[in-house]
Amino acid sequence: MKTFKIPLRYVPIAATISVFCVVYLIGIICYDGFGVLSIFDLLQDNSYLGIAAIGTALVILTGGIDLSVGSVIAFTTILIAKILVAGGNAFLAISLALALGTLFGFCQGCLIHYFSLPPFLLTLAGMFFVRGCAFVVNVSDVPIKRDAVFDFVTDNLSISIGSEITISFYVVVYIVLLIAAIIFSQRTRAGRNIYAIGDNELAATLMGIPVGRTKIMTYTIAGFCYALGGVAFAFYLKSGYASHCVGMEMEAIAAVVIGGTLLTGGVGYIFGSFFGVLVLGLITALITYDGLDSCWSRIIVGLLMLVFIFMQNMITKISKSKSKSH
Amino acid sequence: MNKFATVIMAAAAATLLVTACSKKDPNKTYVGISQVGAESDWRRASTKSIEDAVAQRPQIVMTFADAMQKQENQIKAIRSFIRKKVDVISFSPVVSSGFEDILKEAKKANIPVVIFDRAVDTDPSLYVSLVGSDFTEEGRRAARWLIANKPAKDSIKVIELSGTAGSAPAIERQKGFAEIIESTPEIKVVVSQSGNFTRVEGKKVMENILQTPEGKDFDVLFAHNDDMALGAIEAIRDVGKVPGKDIIIISVDGIKDMFQEILKGNANCTVECNPLIGPTLFDVIEKVKKGETVPPRIPSLEGVFDSIGGIEVGNEETPVQTTKITQEIIDGRAY
Amino acid sequence: MKKMSNKYRHLVWPLASLALLLLYNAFFTEDFFKVYVKKGNASEQTQVVGKKDNTPAAQQPVAQPTEQQPPAEQQPVAQPTEQQPPAEQQPVAQTAEQSQPEEKDGGFSIFDYHFSGTPVLILKQGSEVMLLAIGMTLVIATGGIDISVGAVMAIAGAVAALLMDMFEHQLPASAMETGLYWLIPVFAALLLATLCGFWNGMLVAGCGIQPMVATLVLMVSGRGMAQLITSIGRSKPEQITFQSEQLAFLRNGYVLMVPCCLWIVVIMYIIAGLLTRKTALGLFIESVGNNEHASRYAGIESRRIKWLAYIICGFCAGMAGLLTLCDTKSIDANNAGLYLELDAILATVIGGTSMAGGRFFLSGSLIGAILIQTLTATMIANKVDSSIIPLPKALVVIIVCLLQSPVFRAKVFSLFASKSAKGGVQ
Repeated sequence: MKTFKIPLRYVPIAATISVFCVVYLIGIICYDGFGVLSIFDLLQDNSYLGIAAIGTALVILTGGIDLSVGSVIAFTTILIAKILVAGGNAFLAISLALALGTLFGFCQGCLIHYFSLPPFLLTLAGMFFVRGCAFVVNVSDVPIKRDAVFDFVTDNLSISIGSEITISFYVVVYIVLLIAAIIFSQRTRAGRNIYAIGDNELAATLMGIPVGRTKIMTYTIAGFCYALGGVAFAFYLKSGYASHCVGMEMEAIAAVVIGGTLLTGGVGYIFGSFFGVLVLGLITALITYDGLDSCWSRIIVGLLMLVFIFMQNMITKISKSKSKSH
Repeated sequence: MNKFATVIMAAAAATLLVTACSKKDPNKTYVGISQVGAESDWRRASTKSIEDAVAQRPQIVMTFADAMQKQENQIKAIRSFIRKKVDVISFSPVVSSGFEDILKEAKKANIPVVIFDRAVDTDPSLYVSLVGSDFTEEGRRAARWLIANKPAKDSIKVIELSGTAGSAPAIERQKGFAEIIESTPEIKVVVSQSGNFTRVEGKKVMENILQTPEGKDFDVLFAHNDDMALGAIEAIRDVGKVPGKDIIIISVDGIKDMFQEILKGNANCTVECNPLIGPTLFDVIEKVKKGETVPPRIPSLEGVFDSIGGIEVGNEETPVQTTKITQEIIDGRAY
Repeated sequence: MKKMSNKYRHLVWPLASLALLLLYNAFFTEDFFKVYVKKGNASEQTQVVGKKDNTPAAQQPVAQPTEQQPPAEQQPVAQPTEQQPPAEQQPVAQTAEQSQPEEKDGGFSIFDYHFSGTPVLILKQGSEVMLLAIGMTLVIATGGIDISVGAVMAIAGAVAALLMDMFEHQLPASAMETGLYWLIPVFAALLLATLCGFWNGMLVAGCGIQPMVATLVLMVSGRGMAQLITSIGRSKPEQITFQSEQLAFLRNGYVLMVPCCLWIVVIMYIIAGLLTRKTALGLFIESVGNNEHASRYAGIESRRIKWLAYIICGFCAGMAGLLTLCDTKSIDANNAGLYLELDAILATVIGGTSMAGGRFFLSGSLIGAILIQTLTATMIANKVDSSIIPLPKALVVIIVCLLQSPVFRAKVFSLFASKSAKGGVQ
């Protein structure tokens, strides 16, 4: 009898997907109101995290890390809100926010590469910096005014299936971005370079890969993703507040880790972080459905991460021993 | 590797199957409640009052979600309530903006919404009623007490420890206080800083203020909640001033710890902000389920407590006199 | 500059930055450096706690003001006209300025007075970060990192608060009066925190998991566990408070006019310094951080050293958690120690320890922690809204990191060197 063996490198992502499916099934059975179509709710509620997690995943794949996720999202929301209140139109607000986010990512990348600063520290400083800037824009929360563009986008660009399901436009944006990111990381040379740098930066340099350019590009793309996540968040909540998304960088990192990406870099799939975000969202949703204390979601997420970390560890050891035995 | 996957699946299955699976009973009222969090004694008292009220009403089945002070968690919770097709949704918003869409979804699903404690900044037709305290009036009562008990000086300086920036209670209490002291020119607020409604931050911010020139010469502390005042009292004591005597301490909430301090003479007055909203809230919810009309704004019954008693701090419509704090009152306090 | 021994070179930039900051304050912030001597000490306010029917204090609320407050006679007294306090209470004192030390009536007892002022406040408020920085320095020196210290602080504080609250409600007052019962929660908190450090060490050293990931697990789940602890015996997680002033003395009290928490910090630094510099431990840590493989070949048990570093870090986090608890005699599992790990890492890096591991400088970390706290205090004193304070903090961090980066220094100084070379002035 032929046994179906998953290639070693796909095991983590297979595990993530199976966890998701199993927990989803349990949710359907146990909780009234949680049905097969709840996946759309999950997407609706977690798209902003997903978009940001794509940026985080790319950065982690190069062997770096980015802690400024939550701050950039909060800054984007308050900036958009303030511009709209001041009378500007939505296009201006969104484009400015995206431009600033990308610029910020670019600056981070440059500082990290040219001065060999540790990414953890620099993005930590970046996080403080952007959060402070967000408060400079406005200290209290600002509702995002109804604007012709916003209304148009919300009412017309969302797909409604039946009376209950809405696929908002930011979900569509997420899916499109996800596909683009997958193609980018798997099929383009720049994507392959990212994997190479994450695996062994020295070897990559010696091979002639433009390490500096690639790293800076990765952080720039990440900055863009966070700003876009912030735009999605603004559409989702219609509220700009400098204190939004405090601690979200850890959620993004957790999603990426659960999705099978190694924090040392070079290993993992963008597709995995998609499921990582869904698993995270699913756990929080089911705990809410159940009415359990929210502290359990922290504990369960921590446990899940632990399991996945151990699994990745074992896989690395096995693949190393396999390559040695050749 | 397949073994690993099985282990994970088993663990996940075990975790979630332990919790009860439910089906709907038409005789019961299903309510979804989303609370701001558990950031202060007051908030916890509010939650406890809700739980006690549910315990006394066996026909109510409540799903409780703690938002950990994050707005996105509240939106997720409310959406899950809509999916569960609860009979009534009730929540206390973390911030006032941003709930328009989710309320529209609730309306589309024909689920009535009752808001408690804080207000939302949205079209009033999207919710049935707001049950809770009038924060502005609380600020006004604090100011009226101060005017009635002001020390005989030409200039009375007030330091204000405000709540979380941008939150409804902070904004409204500040407004109410300022509104009343405007008529008394000798009373001025010289410093206003946020202590985020927590004891730790209240103490820390007060410690820092006390080192500034304004902090070395002031007469009154007005804190937007008791927790911050309690932290500030320690800070004041540390620099050698006597809280309650050198510095008049007025705050809002009415928690037991604050009553103790007033009794000991370390503080002067607390304006009650009644968190025991459970009974009123569920009365309203049951009426809403039956389809009865309820007033759109239901204020809570609140008093003012101090060490003196009998001081008039209300307005013409609702006269309120302060109650002197005694040990019996403290023992009888629910929170 | 050439003569400066290598031993102190790492302190140059942090001390220079601190000096710059203090200079700014000397000019622009009123009264920044004033240190006062104030009367009063938390130990005066010890009250007997315990079951309600046993405490005399509860039944005579009137008697308490005299025990607890420094006598009001030493301050100028004015009677407000409107407020008529009942006869039992002391007259309300109105003080316009009170910063001068009160008259000492015969005998200056050092136990009754304490230093007060912005410098003292900075040291007091920064004591948690200073403690965390000790453990963090050792962990970073081994080439790792521990981002779970904030969560461990919450866990330690939660356990201690839970036990204190239980004791205060169950034990009769007589047992509390005599006993050092509060040592038990302290011990329990430190033990639990050390166990958390042990767990982190097991993941990093025992299982070979990357430190950031390994400690991320505890960081995420640790707060959930702290919340669970605070929900024991209650329906939901709560902010637990306790009454004992004896325990709170650790943070709020003064010994020989200096804050007790500062004494704790100093003692911990001395112990850590002796442990690392007078034994081979420091050398081994630096060796492991520098090159783990070479260390192992040289005969150093690198796994054990790493494990030990995490255990020490956990212990320091436990102490910091206790201090946070004693600050307001209450613990909020959600917010205790939030983001303090980031401050501790910053302090370590500012102090000269590289994140790649290797040489570490405890004195530098101390200066780094003081620098961060001074920066915060400067901002607050200059009326910067507390929410905007992270911004200048970030700039300082970036500047210090740049200054420490050899690449940056080479580029900047070569810029100056080439200019002078072009100028031809040799």
